[in-house]
Amino acid sequence: MKNKLSWFAVPYVGWMALMVVIPILIMVVYAFTTAEFQGTLENFAEMGTYASVFLRSFRLAIIATLVCLLIGYPVSYWMAHEGPGFQRLAMALIMLPMWMNFLLRTYSWMSILENNGLLNQFFKTIGLLDALGVEYIPMIGTPGAVVLGMVYNYLPFMILPIYSVIVKLDGSLLEAARDLGADSRRVFRKVILPLSLPGVLSGVTMVFVPSVSTFAISRLLGGGTQIMLGDLIEQQFLGGAYDPHLGAAISMVMMVIVVLCMVVMNHFGEGEEQAVML
Amino acid sequence: MKKQNRLGSRLVIGLMFLFLYAPIILLIIFSFNAGDSSAVWKGFSLHWYGKLFQNRLIMESVYTTLLVSLLATVIATVAGTFAAIGLYSLGRRRREALLTVNNIPMMNADIVTGVSLCLFFVAFFQGWGTFARWFNSIQSAVELPDRLVLGFTTLLLAHIAFDIPYVILNVAPKLRQMDRNLMDAAQDLGCTWMQAFGKVMLPEIKPGIVSGALIAFTMSIDDFIISYFTAGSASSTLAMTIYGMTKKRVTPEVNAVSTLLFLSVLVLLVLSNLKEVRQEARERLGTTRKSSALDRARQKFAEPRYLWLRRWAAGVLACAFVASVGFLSYATSSRPVVNVCSWGEYIDEDLITQFEEQTGIRVNYQTAESNEALYSLLKSGGADYDVVVPSDYMIGRLIAEDMLEPLDYSKIPNFSLIDDRFKGLSYDPDNEYTVPYTWGTLGIIYNRAVVDEEITSWSALYDDKYAGNVLLINNSRDAIGEALLYLGYSVNTTDEAEIRQAYELVADANRRGVFQGRVMDEVFQKMEGGNAAIATYYAGDYLSMVDNQADGVDLAFVIPEEGSNWFVDAMCMLKDAPHQEEAHKWINFIASTEANLANMDYIWYASPNREALERYPAYYEKRYGEELDPEIYEIMAAPPETLERCEAYQNLPGETLSLYKKLWTQLGVD
Repeated sequence: MKNKLSWFAVPYVGWMALMVVIPILIMVVYAFTTAEFQGTLENFAEMGTYASVFLRSFRLAIIATLVCLLIGYPVSYWMAHEGPGFQRLAMALIMLPMWMNFLLRTYSWMSILENNGLLNQFFKTIGLLDALGVEYIPMIGTPGAVVLGMVYNYLPFMILPIYSVIVKLDGSLLEAARDLGADSRRVFRKVILPLSLPGVLSGVTMVFVPSVSTFAISRLLGGGTQIMLGDLIEQQFLGGAYDPHLGAAISMVMMVIVVLCMVVMNHFGEGEEQAVML
Repeated sequence: MKKQNRLGSRLVIGLMFLFLYAPIILLIIFSFNAGDSSAVWKGFSLHWYGKLFQNRLIMESVYTTLLVSLLATVIATVAGTFAAIGLYSLGRRRREALLTVNNIPMMNADIVTGVSLCLFFVAFFQGWGTFARWFNSIQSAVELPDRLVLGFTTLLLAHIAFDIPYVILNVAPKLRQMDRNLMDAAQDLGCTWMQAFGKVMLPEIKPGIVSGALIAFTMSIDDFIISYFTAGSASSTLAMTIYGMTKKRVTPEVNAVSTLLFLSVLVLLVLSNLKEVRQEARERLGTTRKSSALDRARQKFAEPRYLWLRRWAAGVLACAFVASVGFLSYATSSRPVVNVCSWGEYIDEDLITQFEEQTGIRVNYQTAESNEALYSLLKSGGADYDVVVPSDYMIGRLIAEDMLEPLDYSKIPNFSLIDDRFKGLSYDPDNEYTVPYTWGTLGIIYNRAVVDEEITSWSALYDDKYAGNVLLINNSRDAIGEALLYLGYSVNTTDEAEIRQAYELVADANRRGVFQGRVMDEVFQKMEGGNAAIATYYAGDYLSMVDNQADGVDLAFVIPEEGSNWFVDAMCMLKDAPHQEEAHKWINFIASTEANLANMDYIWYASPNREALERYPAYYEKRYGEELDPEIYEIMAAPPETLERCEAYQNLPGETLSLYKKLWTQLGVD
């Protein structure tokens, strides 16, 4: 029977090769060639000039991930300690925005943060702007706005895995720790935190990766004057400077760095267990 | 102690939900706005909901989104479930290796997945084209299409590709929990393999399948980046349409459609939650509670003897789904089509309807952001356009790179109406490829309510005085061209030092934070709402901004003393365009005097049609009952003495183009 079932994996392996492995190989080929498909390393030699974009993207993505963690961990922790009705409702409410397109939600922030937007109008009404002696408080087009957009869009991706790990924690472990004389802080540090680490790691991955590579958020909320990796790549494919070979090279370098980060991080967590969403 | 804490923690959770939902609530509120702004409330109205159903672009993209997500979810769920079963009957080592590959699309940034799939599809299409041409040349029984482009199929394949890993990841744990001997036991007891699978394994792993399908569907609906790179030009998901709109004006129709989507999901969630809650309550209370009529009906329906009814109903639903998909794709494919790509806010949309009614040809009207973005789109193989409307210098480039098809002017009698000034221009000296669409000038638009001096020079763009309040135009030719003009050089210079000096001027201002953003059609929303003080854009668009400017905004337009650029945008047909007959009809229709008048009135760009240009003031007076302000007419159709101060862009040699490209990529890097 075993052999019979394993045939099911064959079309899948073929599909994976075709739709996952080959496209990435093609990208690698692009990265190492010129427009005439001659081998070159020039695309990578140019990479040094974009170091600041890499740094900026990683910095903003790390900040966004930390903020998400700082909000997401306590929220998931507390949520897991509420009654089942509350939990179900809260989970539904966290999933719900994902059915509304993220671009729309980001656009909504745009109308809030504009120089003449809702927040500035509000500040004006309460007299804050006059008190500060300014026409408006600049918010749109700043790195802060970009981080806000990332946190806003990806926070659910942090909460879901952490919550699903914490909610499955064995209560008797906590009891045992308490019986053995640990105070609640110690229980948290020595038992809950290490056990919830797989959730944290998968949450960090799910927030960090899309943040570091976004182009829509930086474009809408960041104005595009300080470009990020995603903008740089998009520009080479469908934007104002057509050069898919350079774009492929940048994508490849980004992919390698991200994968390295993940490997290192998972190593820390000895993450054998795959934390699954939901 | 616990009770105390709970209040604080609930407060934090509540605040987080406020953060998550505030923008969504705003979106919903502004879907009921009587005005068309998403920041200024003008009273309650439902008219955006009515308009929504007439907006073909949005309705089609909603349909595409739902169809792609549903199909991808169904296919990925079936395929992923079988794949997971297959994986779990492999040895541990091979399974682990394959699961690592399975994780690649999830670990990878979406943009990398999108880009690699895009490159893969395009490479495949090129290979296929070569094969099909060879195959067609050696036999004539079967004619293979030799020109494939990105479209619905590639979009669907991409969605399936990123959905499958989620399904596997959700089914896998259930398989791990399942006792492997169960299947053997069932078969020993006389089940066929199929029965054992259906009665034993499937129920065991069903929760995993359901949650996998749910997540796959969510991911499909929410995806933007992968679709953006794989859908090409022909099909557009809701996310892509919205992204296109955020580049110009987002109309509240989009708010309306998202409100509807949001509410329907909300209702579904509430219903499923209620069901669970009720079930739980029933379990707690035992069976003492009297069941409602609905429950009884449901129970009855679930009885085995009604199995045929359930099967029948499911069959009917499935057939209806297939039939509607089939019908819609038939309805859209059987009519002749012309694919047009133009710029945002660049046509009176009634013209499209008129053309469709007159000729029965369906117009698939798309927009690109800038000449350079259009070029990228054409080069990347993502476009399936027949007619494009690039500007002069880009036409020169497209002709030089042999990307345009010569027009058959005998099919375009209206070409004779085009003013001689716009014939035989340097980009198409012998008039083989183009029919002019509009012409105009580039200039500075500024808000007099904020800028208290009269702007006369390009220097205002680089002035620290307006830091954070200036919008840089987001295409290399205009942005660097303005700097060249300011420095007193020609916009067509090929001198590297001059271009670098101009670039430095822009880059330096960018570093100092003078620019609030780099914009193309986003400029409308920004300038009309008073969110920026100074921008550069085209004369016609200035006039439509004035039409829509918010209270307290007072826009002005100036062609700076250093001179500026004047341009012609012209319709041309792409090489090997699949619908050439229809394309000629469209070009001829748009070149007519009536269409030009309607366009002039709607988009405020000057027409190259001699009659339309002369007759417009009279047309305006007749239509609005008041005289056209000569100043407005002068901004629209710049008089010869203004045009003398302006220089047209010409296509640049390859070296200069790559310098532009290199510099432009650098902008904003540091």
